Parts: sequence; C-alpha cells; structure tokens
Amino acid sequence: MNTEQVPIRTRIARLGIGGGLGIIAAGAALGVGELIAAFTGAATAPALAVGSAMVNLAPHAVKDFAVREFGTNDKLVLVSGVLAGLVALAAIAGILALRRLWLGVAIVVAFGVVGMLTAATGPATTAVSVLPSLGAAVTGAFALVLLVRIRRREPVSVAATGFSRRQLLIAGGSVALFAAATAVGGQYLQSALDSVTASRNRIRLPRPASPAPALPAGHQFQIDGLTPYFTPNNDFYRVDTALALPQVPAEQWSLTVHGMVRNPVRMSYQDILGMPLVERDITLSCVSNDVSGPYVSTARWLGVPLSTVLNKGGVRSGATQLLSTSTDGMTIGSPTEIVLDGRDALLAIAMNGEPLPIEHGFPARLLVPGLFGYASATKWVTDLELTTFAAQPYWVQRGYDRTGAVKTGSRIDLPRPFAQVKAGPVTVAGVAYDQHHGISAVQVRVDGGPWQEAELTTQVSLDTWRQWRLTWLATAGSHQIEVRAADRRGNLQPQARTPVFPSGATGWELVVVTVTT
Amino acid sequence: MQFKRIAIALTGAAAALGLAACGSSAASGSSSSSSAPAPTTTPSSTSAMGQFGSACSQVPSSGPGSFQGMAQAPVATAASNNPVLSTLVTAVKKANLVDTLNGAQNITVFAPDNPAFAKIPSATLSQVLADNATLTKILTYHVVPQKITPEELANGNFKTLEGGMVKTSGGGQDFTIDGSAHVVCGNVQTANATVYIIDGVLMPPSS
Repeated sequence: MNTEQVPIRTRIARLGIGGGLGIIAAGAALGVGELIAAFTGAATAPALAVGSAMVNLAPHAVKDFAVREFGTNDKLVLVSGVLAGLVALAAIAGILALRRLWLGVAIVVAFGVVGMLTAATGPATTAVSVLPSLGAAVTGAFALVLLVRIRRREPVSVAATGFSRRQLLIAGGSVALFAAATAVGGQYLQSALDSVTASRNRIRLPRPASPAPALPAGHQFQIDGLTPYFTPNNDFYRVDTALALPQVPAEQWSLTVHGMVRNPVRMSYQDILGMPLVERDITLSCVSNDVSGPYVSTARWLGVPLSTVLNKGGVRSGATQLLSTSTDGMTIGSPTEIVLDGRDALLAIAMNGEPLPIEHGFPARLLVPGLFGYASATKWVTDLELTTFAAQPYWVQRGYDRTGAVKTGSRIDLPRPFAQVKAGPVTVAGVAYDQHHGISAVQVRVDGGPWQEAELTTQVSLDTWRQWRLTWLATAGSHQIEVRAADRRGNLQPQARTPVFPSGATGWELVVVTVTT
Repeated sequence: MQFKRIAIALTGAAAALGLAACGSSAASGSSSSSSAPAPTTTPSSTSAMGQFGSACSQVPSSGPGSFQGMAQAPVATAASNNPVLSTLVTAVKKANLVDTLNGAQNITVFAPDNPAFAKIPSATLSQVLADNATLTKILTYHVVPQKITPEELANGNFKTLEGGMVKTSGGGQDFTIDGSAHVVCGNVQTANATVYIIDGVLMPPSS
C-alpha cells in the first residue's frame, strides 16, 4: 500500500475525504456538546470551555491586550479562533483515521478530555459541567468510526468520481445534518432555557425607601452632540477584562460578608430586596480614561447602602480594605474608611430603572462615588472580605494605586476635534466631573487668551457630572479651545499632563478647530 | 463531481457549526469585572494586523510602541510610544494637536518618521517648529478625515484636514504619497486612526 504509486489526484481526494469525515464527526461532536450545554450552562459547551481555559491560562498581558484590542468582540474572536483550530484538528484526525482508526479516535477523545478538564476547573463548575464535552467526545468518536468503516467498505480501486460513493455520501450527509440540527437545536434551547435572562425578566424592582431627589430645573442643556446627563444603559462605558459574561441567576446568587467581621453572614437576592433600598444618581469613571476620553458615564442606581450590608457582619477595627470578588474571580479593593464615611456607596441591583444588565453586573455590583471603577465598581459581586492592604487586588498587583480616588476631569464635546465651523457665535460645550467633591466652575479659553467662565447646569448631586457651555464668537482661522474645571473644595484641575498609569490621567483638554468665513 | 458535493455538504455543515458556536458566544457576550484600567504592558505575540513595509521591522516587537500596543491607544498617544516617530510627536505637541488627534474619530495619518524630518535643513525645521500656524498647516495636511485602506491608496486623491488634496499612487506594498514620500510601514492601526509611516514630510500645495 505504502509502496504503491498512488496518482496525485487520488491522494488529494483521499486527504479531502479524510479531512471531510473528520470535520463532520467533529461537527456532530460539537453539536451534541451544544445540545447538552443547553442544560448544563452555555459556558460548559466544549468550544467555549476550551476558549475560556485558554484565556485563564494566557499571560495577563495577552489577556489585557485581547480585551483592549478586540473590545466587546474579544470573545467572538477567541471562539472563532478555537473553532478554526478545531476544524484543522478534526481534519487531521479524519485523515489519520483513514490509515489508523485508533489514532483519529484518540485525537477526538483527547479533545474531549481537554474540554472536560477545562469545564471541570472553570470558575462556576458543577458536577454536570463535564457532560457536554463527554457527550461530544463519545459522539465524535462514534461518528468517526462509523464514517471511516463505511469508507473502508468501498472498493479502493474506484476513482474519486465513482458512483459507489453513494453510501458514504448518504452517511456523511446524515451525520452533517445531525451536526447542524443538534447545534442549532442546542443554541435554540440555550437561549430558551437561559436562566439568567429569564431570572432577570422575572424581577420586580421594589420602590426605593429613599428615592433619588427630584432633578432640579436646568440639570441638563439640550444641545445636539452634547453628552446627556443620564447615559443610556446601552451607551454606558464598559472596559472589559473577562471573556465570558458571568451567568448568575438571581435565585442562585448570594453575597458573603466575611474576614475581619464579628459575624460572617451570607445574604440572598431576596434578602437584599427586603432591605431599605436607596436610589441615587452617580457618575462612574475609569482610571484608563485619558484626557478627552470616553470612559465616564452617569446612571440612576438602585441598591442597598454598602454600610447596611457590611454592618450585618460587623466590621472589626483594623479592617482597612474591603476586598470584593466577582463570580468570575476578579478582585477589587476599596479603602474601608471611604466606603463607610457616609457617602452613597452602594450594592446596586438596578440601573436607570431596570435590573442591572448582565454586562453591567447582574444580579449585583458595587459602586463607591469618588473612586475609580478599578477600585470600587465590582460587577457580579459575590464576596466581600474585610481585610487589610496586605491583600492585593487584581489591578494593584499590576502596579495601580491602591486608593483609586477619581481626578477632576473636564471634556470638550463640542465642537468636535478638527471641526470646521462657521465664523460667528459657536457653542462650546462638554461635561465636567469630580465625583463626591462636585464641580464648582468650568473655564474655557481660546488660543491661550483670558479664561472665561462657562455656564454650568444645576448640580444634581456632588456625585454626578455637570454639563457646561459657552458661546464663543469665532473668527476665521485655526483656533485652540482649552477647558479646565475646579471642584467644590476650590481645587483647580491640574494642568500638568500625567499618564493613566498608575493613578489616572491629568491635564487640560485642548481641541483644535477651523473656523471658516 | 460527487467529491465536490461532499465538499459542499461539509462546508455547509462547518458553516452551520461556526454560526452556532459564534451565536452562543454572542449570547453570553464579553465582559469585565468592573471598569478596569488600561494595561501597562502589551504582549509580543500575534501580529497579522495587515501592516506592511520595510520599516515595520523597526517598530518595537513588544510594549506600548509595538503594533499591538499602538492598536490600543489613540493615535497621538500611540505615536508617542514609538521611537521612530519622536520628531513628529514633538511637532504634534508643539502644535497642541495631541488631544485633537486623540479625540478625532476614523482618521488616517501620514506619519513622517525621524529620517523624513532629518531631510529638512535643521534651520528650516526649527523655523517651522517655532511658527505654530505654519506647523499646524503642515501637520493637518498629513491627516485625512476618513480611514484609508491600502487598496484605496493605489490611485487616490484625498482632502486633508488642512484643506489641500493629497495624492496617492502605487500598489502592492509600494505606495507614493504626493509623488515624493514613500510608505515605509503602512496600514498600522491605532484605536482611532489608520497610520501610514512615510519617509518624507508632505508640504501643502498652497504654502
């Protein structure tokens, strides 16, 4: 066999058939995996489990890169990559199986074992997590053996165009159909049974014991292109670090308060709903928001004061840090002193009138006005540990400042960078923020001239941003518009440029525009 | 013939699977725990962003100045991490264009490298750097308010932010800008801009 001269076309056909059979078998395997995953959780599906494991094993730098590079598409990119690798592996398994059936089966089983191992070691593992990969491996091996046996029954001498291929064609087509049906069915069932979406839809938010104060007149300017006071949930900024969105039904969620407390406690979502809820408008910003950057947003939040939650456990003295952990293992540390100083630090369950969107931390997240997100805003939070600063949360391990206090910021939304505007009155407008200290003034200057006071919207609370505007009598030519803000303590936003790392960017934004006659 | 049919059946099955798996990923989306800060380092692996040209090898292979690092940052910040663009960055800072370049969306920047600036007599260069109006005019002539693909460079005529038209020609990996400057490393992606590093400083026709 090996010594015989095989025509090149036949060899290519053999490779193609082997590869094809392997891919069909793998398809059936993944389809069954998807189907079973409808009952054991989408994250346990083989391709996703292996992808997530790759993310967990990847160096932090690579992970950070992927998240920043692909943003919200990072997961799509990764799963596509895993699938591409899988298709290649399946083709190789099929080609090998035509020669040595056990070799092909071994590859299929090995992939199944990898899937089972990764599913079994994932963050939200249960006893059934291995079932999709197990089912996939069994199906894949069975399909491969079946197809290869049928293929072997064919007379080898018949050319690739021979009509005796019918049996293989029918078998291959049937398995491929089976693969497509189980995959589509699995997907359909996964969304139909998606317990998180269903859980979220079932929630009826209680009325707050302490509603947000009525919005004062003049809290918002109506100017096209100016960032609105409330950021719609879909537009609320997200800076991603995890691959798969944690899927935590409210019914299965619980929050543990432990560490340096007198009395460790665990509370359920129902327990939270039973506590007096407060509703507050709070602006949240990200330390990676550079001068002129987009990572700052405002929402109306509903939740329980974090002090209420922590006092159930009874914070012991010396517990300088609140270390919070999300269900996916992310850790964030906030100074206990700041959390408990009377500000509206919240365990939030709702955002702009609806239960937290899954991507914003459903069922519950933290918020501490005046602290950057990396030091306060844990999504999908399930664990609150009172500890000291000896414990290093995720970003502090990477060199970021452990306190996480926000910096005064002001941004020019209008005119846009490099805008071409007509000479005459031009609206210059934007937002300014310094959560928990509040903005007292915003000033604008053009071409390094005298600073002019901008008009500010009415302050809603010290924890929210304010819009500002100014009418500028623009003359023809290229002009530089600069903005700076001052907080209510009288501190001017620093002019010196500092980078995002390690404690947030500073500097006055300057935008260049062209004025035409 | 039948082999072809098998192949088509296989492709169909693979496509169905691919769609299905991507669908599941879309259902669970991507995420973060909290609003997380920017990374301080970037990895060295995975290139294949489509950049091309002889000078691409001079770009650092890792860190914020690498292709990966630049892709994460807005264009002026990205350039400031790249030693081969240090003169340009000095000029951009001098003209106070950092925030404007960082804040603009979907632009293309023709970025002269240090050797390009070295071709200008030093007296002339210091003169230009000292004159903000001229400097701004020259720099904005290097910025086009749209993303330009390498294919579009083959025979292009683009209105710059300065107002003048910049002409591009060439093909493959060899492109000429305004008949004189050559792309030495092209199609570099930053968070908000496509960058073509060029070996000459462009001059607006009107100046």
